[in-house]
Amino acid sequence: MSESAGPAGVSSTAKAPTLRCEWLGEVPYRAGLELQERALEAVRAGEEDRLLLLEHPPVITLGRAGKRENLLASEEERQARGIEVVDVARGGDVTYHGRGQLVGYLIANLRRAGEPDVHRLVRGIEAALLDAVGAFGVFGTRVEGRAGVFIAGEAGRPDRKLASIGIGVRHWVTHHGFALNVDIDLREFEVIVPCGLHDIEMTSLEREGVNIGPEFSARVRRAVAGSFARRFGSIAP
Amino acid sequence: MSISVQVPNLGESVVEGTVARWLVAEGDTVSIDQIIVELTTDKVDVEIPSPGAGVIAKILVGVDETVEVGAEIAIIEEAGASAGDSKPAARSETTGSPTEESTGSQPEGAREASPTESTPSSTPSPTPLAQRAADEKGIDTSSVTGTGARGRVTQQDVADHGANGTSSAPAQAERAQPEKPQREQAPPATALPDPTPAPAAQARPAAPRPSAKQYGASVEEGDRVIPMTRLRKLVADHMVYSKRTSPHVGTVAEIDMTAVAKLRKANKSRFEDQHGIGLTFLPFIVAAVVRALRETPALNAQVIDDTIVEKRSINIGIAVETEKGLVVPVVRDADRLSLAGLAAAIDDLSTRARNKKLGADELKGGTFTISNPGRKGNLYGFAIINQPQVGILRMGEMVKRPVVRELGGDDVIVVRQMMHLALSYDHRAVDGQPANAFLFRIRELLEAADFDL
Repeated sequence: MSESAGPAGVSSTAKAPTLRCEWLGEVPYRAGLELQERALEAVRAGEEDRLLLLEHPPVITLGRAGKRENLLASEEERQARGIEVVDVARGGDVTYHGRGQLVGYLIANLRRAGEPDVHRLVRGIEAALLDAVGAFGVFGTRVEGRAGVFIAGEAGRPDRKLASIGIGVRHWVTHHGFALNVDIDLREFEVIVPCGLHDIEMTSLEREGVNIGPEFSARVRRAVAGSFARRFGSIAP
Repeated sequence: MSISVQVPNLGESVVEGTVARWLVAEGDTVSIDQIIVELTTDKVDVEIPSPGAGVIAKILVGVDETVEVGAEIAIIEEAGASAGDSKPAARSETTGSPTEESTGSQPEGAREASPTESTPSSTPSPTPLAQRAADEKGIDTSSVTGTGARGRVTQQDVADHGANGTSSAPAQAERAQPEKPQREQAPPATALPDPTPAPAAQARPAAPRPSAKQYGASVEEGDRVIPMTRLRKLVADHMVYSKRTSPHVGTVAEIDMTAVAKLRKANKSRFEDQHGIGLTFLPFIVAAVVRALRETPALNAQVIDDTIVEKRSINIGIAVETEKGLVVPVVRDADRLSLAGLAAAIDDLSTRARNKKLGADELKGGTFTISNPGRKGNLYGFAIINQPQVGILRMGEMVKRPVVRELGGDDVIVVRQMMHLALSYDHRAVDGQPANAFLFRIRELLEAADFDL
């Protein structure tokens, strides 16, 4: 199907762009914003695109549309569990990040591939994630009208969300990206109503039956870096 | 001079965006490339820079309003002498920390923008995106609870409503299928532009299907995983349904197309001049099939429950590959058309199929299907019956081949243009003898090449 195979993100330029993938380890949310800001300026100034891979310590982020009522845990409970709450300058509602979730910030110049196309970018990120999780025997899907990677619900059950996507674009350079649930304790999501949507069930690679062996998160990281490199450019040495 | 700020082109499929936030207010001085507004579309926030320097004279669209690509959203008065005294807006300098920048400017921007959005209307109409989503799902937007500005119904509201309100529909449609398959199951193409045959139900089957995973299917690193599109899934479901429903029997005829090829060659340029379309082999095949169907009504039939219905109309489906997948537009009352009429109808339908301009009706009501899957390298092959029809003819490649003919009582080897035609038929409805007679009749008609051009 050419429709799915064609718009592979922004990789369809004549000279293959390079995508530098970096594993940053655990980074506090606000520090992550700073890193993105710096990377964005660098890419805007002409440097190669970046994929920053990292994990955040427990944090709840509220987008502009974020409603406090979608925060389910009380202030004391959040403090006891060491969960930070951060207001961020992005659309969307409320998200939760924590350990066991692979966060990818894609800093890419949309103009590299000719006419910028933000939907094609989102479809490209979804495709790269689908490729990556497929390597672990997890067959994800898209849900029309909702960005992200889902597992189709069986027999009328709701779809389960495996990865969330949210993108910002400034001067045609992207920032933010995706959060893929690897082996995060899914009970942690109970502190929020994800995206303000009550019918969403979160899932993870672990919950979908992937055998978590040693070095599991590193293997997921490699698969994700590989699939993004294939769709958004080759990895710079 | 004033500069118009317009919604930039954000991508091929992006027709509109929603204003998420104004970072400037009317009267503010802006510099070129300074971010002045943020738009949201499908989980993407796009910051829109100012196209020029000057003073924001007018903000035309309020927060949460949806605007189409190309729409004017603000007007900037180009910087004159009077604007020189006011410094560019302070927020343009605070690029270092995005969090502070946003929290600092947000209340201000929101306050300033609000007057423009206070058009006095108690319940605003749904956003265009929401309306479209509702139309697609057949949801009445008045029954949806709006969470947008002043209770405006947003796309998300419709999605939520759909998720809750129609959850039982797929199960029903799925249950209905085994009982009345002939009526419920649309041919794959029918469902493409036609939302009536329960698209939501088709898109996600309620019954769990046996997964390839239990047979050890796996994806290795580097493989591409492509979720099926709605059309692909419909085609897939239809193919499985047809294979399960109809015992397919295949039979092949070898046709000497030399006479047709000569006829075509002799009339090609005149035909093009006269009708403005090329003359391919397909209309000849269709014309022969139509005549044979008229003589063999058993092949122009449908199986409906325990009956066989021989159709009075002869409506020929022509399988067309498009970039989105397989569609089968229908030439209606093909027996009433001349060869030129058939050629024109086929040309028109296949062109519009590729341009996605077909109406839903044009994909319905076929009584027999012809598939022409590109003849190169394709000796012959058997197509899957397009339910609820009972036969489908598949064209093979046409090649010059040495064949034996009788000439003045002697056997001679001659070079002829040969083509295989493969017929798949439903053995529930048709036995071998009439099917073979039908195929042989097509061969006779094509080899005689008695067509009016």
